[in-house]
Amino acid sequence: MKPLSEQTLYEILEVPDDAPASEIEKAYQRVRALYGPGALATYTLMAPDEMALLGRRIEEARSVLLDPGARAGYDARLGSGTPQPQAGRTDDSTPSVQATPVTAFVAPEAPQPAAPQALLARPAATPVPLRSRPAANGAALPPPAPAPTPLPATPPFAAVAATAVPAPPAAAAERPGAEVPAARPPDRQVFVPEGGRWTGEMLRRAREGRGLTVAQLAERTKITRHHIENVEAERLAQLPAPVYLRGIVMSVARELRLDGQKVARSYLEHVAAALGQSR
Amino acid sequence: MADAPTLKLVTPSPASPPRRRTPLPRKPTRARRVVSVGGGKGGIGKSLVAANLGIELARAGRRVVLVDADLGGANLHTCLGMEQPRKSLSDFVEKRIARIEDVVVPTQVPNLGLIAGALDHLDAANPKYAQKMRLLRHLLALDVDYAILDLGAGTHLNVLDFFLVSDHGVLVLVPEPTAIENVYRFVKAAFWRRVRNVVAVYGFEEPLRSVMGDGTFRSPIQVLRGLSEVHPEAARTLEREVQAFRPRLVVNQARTPQDAELGHAVVGAWKKYFGLGMDYLGHIEYDDSMWRTVRARRPLLLERPDSPAAQSFARIAARLVELDGGELEDGR
Repeated sequence: MKPLSEQTLYEILEVPDDAPASEIEKAYQRVRALYGPGALATYTLMAPDEMALLGRRIEEARSVLLDPGARAGYDARLGSGTPQPQAGRTDDSTPSVQATPVTAFVAPEAPQPAAPQALLARPAATPVPLRSRPAANGAALPPPAPAPTPLPATPPFAAVAATAVPAPPAAAAERPGAEVPAARPPDRQVFVPEGGRWTGEMLRRAREGRGLTVAQLAERTKITRHHIENVEAERLAQLPAPVYLRGIVMSVARELRLDGQKVARSYLEHVAAALGQSR
Repeated sequence: MADAPTLKLVTPSPASPPRRRTPLPRKPTRARRVVSVGGGKGGIGKSLVAANLGIELARAGRRVVLVDADLGGANLHTCLGMEQPRKSLSDFVEKRIARIEDVVVPTQVPNLGLIAGALDHLDAANPKYAQKMRLLRHLLALDVDYAILDLGAGTHLNVLDFFLVSDHGVLVLVPEPTAIENVYRFVKAAFWRRVRNVVAVYGFEEPLRSVMGDGTFRSPIQVLRGLSEVHPEAARTLEREVQAFRPRLVVNQARTPQDAELGHAVVGAWKKYFGLGMDYLGHIEYDDSMWRTVRARRPLLLERPDSPAAQSFARIAARLVELDGGELEDGR
């Protein structure tokens, strides 16, 4: 019986210790869909801060285990029996992820191939002394590498969402009849659907791109009109609980021939980040 | 059910000659098993799961008694396509019938008996403690391979206690937030009741109270950590006992592959958060024939044995027997 903060990154992703990188990537996608924001399986199970911790550990697992250098180091420490210092500290009842040394392997200032993304403010990433990874390893990481979240109060995926690139593919969506963004090769980037986050605005454009009115969409999805309007306008106060919101966004996205899972995840992260900021 | 074959599972009094064995070649199970089917929320198919699981096991040659332990809303007989039987659980609870075997009525399925729920008096939903204990004791002593208890909704202590004495506590879940919420509430309530029972049996109330004092604990892991500081032996005992708390999970009305995956997700989330195990028995496909057969008051497995839902039950029954170290050969 180990608390979340002490489970190994392999346990977090539910993969064997020798899982190849491809399996880790798949497992990462899976656990994010299963336990991420708005997921059914964690609904009412955990307190919000525990949810946030789980979210951070999932991101941490991905960035460490997909970076060969970081993974070798992590494995070495796992093997030596001192994976994390707080494993032995029984007096510490509050799990503190920022104390976990493995976060040191997530190098936020690692050389990033995409320059514009590096320009984006990475708000909370204070440049604490970190082992900076060689460029080759840094390139193996996907561009929006999650910064280690120093504040335990940060909402689950806010850090990820904040580093995502809001570059709406306006041209594609506005051309009538043109395929909407997610219809483009979806697997190039793993964090963000092609062209940025799925915001309410993006959903509206996708709907208009399909030539649908809100009323028609409501008719087809059996979702009441005001819900759709609230989702598109991102009226945060009026949105239902994430677990319901996810269902709504998924239905809307499917009706618009988008990948429901991905759109819903992206939208929920976006909303969670917005809620975090407005707090 | 005048034409129903006589049930072969009722134990006669010791003086009478040994009862005839069923002709089916039957692998003896390790021991009697008590299965309870719960899940907190109403209307998620607990009774249907219990009934069809019973039919499936009985047809595979196990001797099964279904017990309608939904004390406040018994309807298992309807799921089996039967009229309200003359004898019921309340005859036993009220001591009008002394032995629980004598309230078992046969069903149309060989090897499957039913102890119908109490319908006749309203107080049956709230049995006194002594009545409940007597009922539990006799249920556990029933001479059958499987006693399957259909529990009511909610987290009433009666429901939790039936769930906790079972070898297999089966949680039924449908892929909806409301059902998820209730199933977690149910399983947490059952878990803490188990902790309290263990602590009471071993006399560790005092150290536990000192740890849980202000009630700000979060998870069992934290409680165990705290306990191991003040009373290491209590912590070891409690850890061992709670590891045995291993509910089984069934996802009913699965419409999509994601719905079927939900069972794995709940097992994983429970493990991550509580550090404890669950076993996922499998999902039951959403199937129109399910509610059609309910409407017609005919059990699904008898009416539509080839429907997807019926085949789901076969898989779930096989998985359950597998957990007991057995194997389910098709007795049909």
